[in-house]
Amino acid sequence: MLLAACTAILLGAMELVCPPGLDFILRHSPTSQKYIVETMTGGVALLDYDADGRLDIFLVNGGKLDDPVKPPVRLARHEPAYWNRLYRQQADGSFADVTVKAGLARAGESNYGMGAAVGDYDNDGYPDLYITNFGQNQLYRNNGDGTFTDVTAEAGVAAGGWSVSAGFLDYDRDGWLDLFVSRYLDWDFTRNLHCGTPFWAYCRPDRYEGVPNLLYRNLGNGRFEDVSEKAGIAKPVGKAMGVAFLDYDRDGFPDIFVSNDGMEQFLYRNLGNGRFKESAFEAGVALSDDGRTYAGMAVATGDYDNDGWPDVLVTNLALEHWALYRNEGGGVFRYATQESRLAAASASSSGWGAGLYDFDNDGWKDLFVARSHVLDNVERIHSGLRYKEPAALLWNRNGRFELAKLEGAPAVAGRGAAFGDLNNDGAIDVVVAVLGERPQVFLNRRGGNHWLTLRLVGTRSNRDGLGAKVRVGDQWAEAWRAGSYLSSSDARVHFGLGARMRVDVEIEWPSGRRQHLAGVRADQILEVREP
Amino acid sequence: MIGCAIALTFALASQAPQPSLRELAEAGLKAKQAGDLEAAIRAFGQVAALAPELAAAHVNLGAALLEAKQYEKAAASLRRALALDPGLPGAHALLGTALLTQGYAAEAIPHLEKAQRWDLLGVALVESGRFAEAITAFERLLSERPDDPDLLYYLGRAHSQLSRQLFDRLLEAHPDSARAHQLLGEAHQAGGNREQAEKELRAALDRRSSLPEVHVMLGELYESAGDYARAEQEYRIEAQARPGDARAAFKLGAVLLALGRLEEALEWLERADRLRPDMAETLFELARALTLARRLPEAEARLRRVLELESSSRLAESAAFQLSQILRRQRKTEEADRELERWRRIRAGRSSGLPGK
Repeated sequence: MLLAACTAILLGAMELVCPPGLDFILRHSPTSQKYIVETMTGGVALLDYDADGRLDIFLVNGGKLDDPVKPPVRLARHEPAYWNRLYRQQADGSFADVTVKAGLARAGESNYGMGAAVGDYDNDGYPDLYITNFGQNQLYRNNGDGTFTDVTAEAGVAAGGWSVSAGFLDYDRDGWLDLFVSRYLDWDFTRNLHCGTPFWAYCRPDRYEGVPNLLYRNLGNGRFEDVSEKAGIAKPVGKAMGVAFLDYDRDGFPDIFVSNDGMEQFLYRNLGNGRFKESAFEAGVALSDDGRTYAGMAVATGDYDNDGWPDVLVTNLALEHWALYRNEGGGVFRYATQESRLAAASASSSGWGAGLYDFDNDGWKDLFVARSHVLDNVERIHSGLRYKEPAALLWNRNGRFELAKLEGAPAVAGRGAAFGDLNNDGAIDVVVAVLGERPQVFLNRRGGNHWLTLRLVGTRSNRDGLGAKVRVGDQWAEAWRAGSYLSSSDARVHFGLGARMRVDVEIEWPSGRRQHLAGVRADQILEVREP
Repeated sequence: MIGCAIALTFALASQAPQPSLRELAEAGLKAKQAGDLEAAIRAFGQVAALAPELAAAHVNLGAALLEAKQYEKAAASLRRALALDPGLPGAHALLGTALLTQGYAAEAIPHLEKAQRWDLLGVALVESGRFAEAITAFERLLSERPDDPDLLYYLGRAHSQLSRQLFDRLLEAHPDSARAHQLLGEAHQAGGNREQAEKELRAALDRRSSLPEVHVMLGELYESAGDYARAEQEYRIEAQARPGDARAAFKLGAVLLALGRLEEALEWLERADRLRPDMAETLFELARALTLARRLPEAEARLRRVLELESSSRLAESAAFQLSQILRRQRKTEEADRELERWRRIRAGRSSGLPGK
């Protein structure tokens, strides 16, 4: 495969950089058969696996597909080109491939890689890694010495089928991170349909049945229990692509939003008794405002309008509009795509990984979206659409989004996107997985606004502090790694402060404890331990 | 044909006593009634041979042959009958049918006209390329049979063929006229060839800038590719040039809504509603705009009206869903649940191809 060299490009607020050492190629193996997995892979995780204070990058690879794939299906993931890769960030901003040293080489033989979730499930202070696949998933425990151990079997979280986005949350607030795994379709290589005339294209999801999502409860002893049925997660059956968490009704228990492809979205309301109730219709987030389903790809949560209630954004295919649901309080959302001006901004664009973060530190959460159509031949089907698209950054101006000028950003087949402050300069950076190419690393060229980043350390709560609610002035944020598509972001909670030099901070920990920090100085990464 | 057969037996009875002829005619009649067409044809054929000047004998033979799908022979018998008695209306209908079935549409027309078989006449006219006359023939029947699938099909086909004929004439006679380019633009748009469609529509405007509807077509072209800003420009030109055009006002209002420009959207949608009240699409978009403006009771009223106008369409489905959302936001939970149930019924009906109740 001949690949264009990576070229650094200045894009206004962002700089597309080529960090030395980050030589990963996402091998998705496109075939003439149009196996759906080919166009769906591309997980990214940002984690500080060695606790040196710098974010490292984990990238999930696809697999080798013959054209056509013949049974028995072998995806050649023993070959180094198809391994997932862990890149350790070094002091100078370059990266070193530590995959083998970390014990993450060889991703399996009969799986095709999808996404990654990060969480310190054993509360030892080191982030662990869960990898989703078409096939069996893998849980790697971080040993704290730069290596990982595959503990999938003993933890009981292999799942199977076609897993996509996953995430860690402490749904029962017992101090241990549980695991949610979303799954896509009941599909395999032997049942791949040929769709589209006159050109074969990846089939629409309605040609296949869905599969249940999974919830694993962390028993605290290294093992997980599959509680999908008894917690009310297994039904209804969906066609999930993304998952994100939020306490939308502010009852203290984290709820789960699952973006589904071509059907209604799911909002699992946490009843606080170990059970969930799927409530998307009641909450007004199941469909677009005119009752239409959409492609439901990535999901991002965040309080974009600074009213104190977490909102939900779902990216979709071109001509569907990305769906923005504004939380009105009282358990009800309002479809806000038009009023936020996202309809026009997203009308001809297909969005994958997405995140609501304050990229210019002005106190309003902006939106970054990795883009590309799902069909690699979409131009032949609709001449007004494009397969490859440049990533999009949309500034949030008092609740209205406007496209930032990222002129010169190359058009790519963007998939997963993870967010975090790679160089610890107080500005959120982005890593985007790109089908068939190197990942894109967008370094944020921080302007003059002030900022504050909190690294939460739970004591009674889970060690990552995931699910904590943090208020700084009129801004609220919940600490989560999950969200976007197939990806896992920096767990640290970031706020843009505009011109403010000092702020008061309030933290509501998952344990229920509240913490108040007065007059916190801006422009620092502050570690906060749960009292 | 029973009538013809009875007429034949009376005719035979009034002639010199020829019991064998009468017996043959009755035997033919019985055989035909029993569905034994071969025996009927044999019997009627003998009658016609024995009494070749008797028109009714040839009609009966023709009718039996027609029923046996022996169209050529049927036509020959019926022609002989009409040569003997040109006023036989039943024979004209039968001959017209026999000829039309064989594809001799032009020849069938005078017979079907005489028999006043408007449905078959319409088909014959369509097949002869006389579309305008065919439309007239079909429309004679439309009030009696408004839902007849064959009639609707042929009437639609006649209209579309007539359009094609007229458009061919336009393209041939005035290939570089504004209308010819407009026509080609529309054709490319329908075929999904966006670049060519845009080129032709622009060429049409170059030749006649005041051509109505072309800006709306361009707007639709841009809107369908998600380019709302350019769509707005085109709709605005049309709406300003034709201030009485409800459709242009609606299009402009709807795209302004998609652009998030609520106040302007409301203004144009309300204008469209005034220009053409009770247009369901306008009412729906107006309700969306009113919802965004937090004027929920007004939005609710518009959506209820949409649901009075439409019960099972895609728009009705959307209206029911939107209404349920608005009611829920007004904390009218029971009503919201009812509307959600209505939405489910419409959706299920649409998925199964049956109308929702």
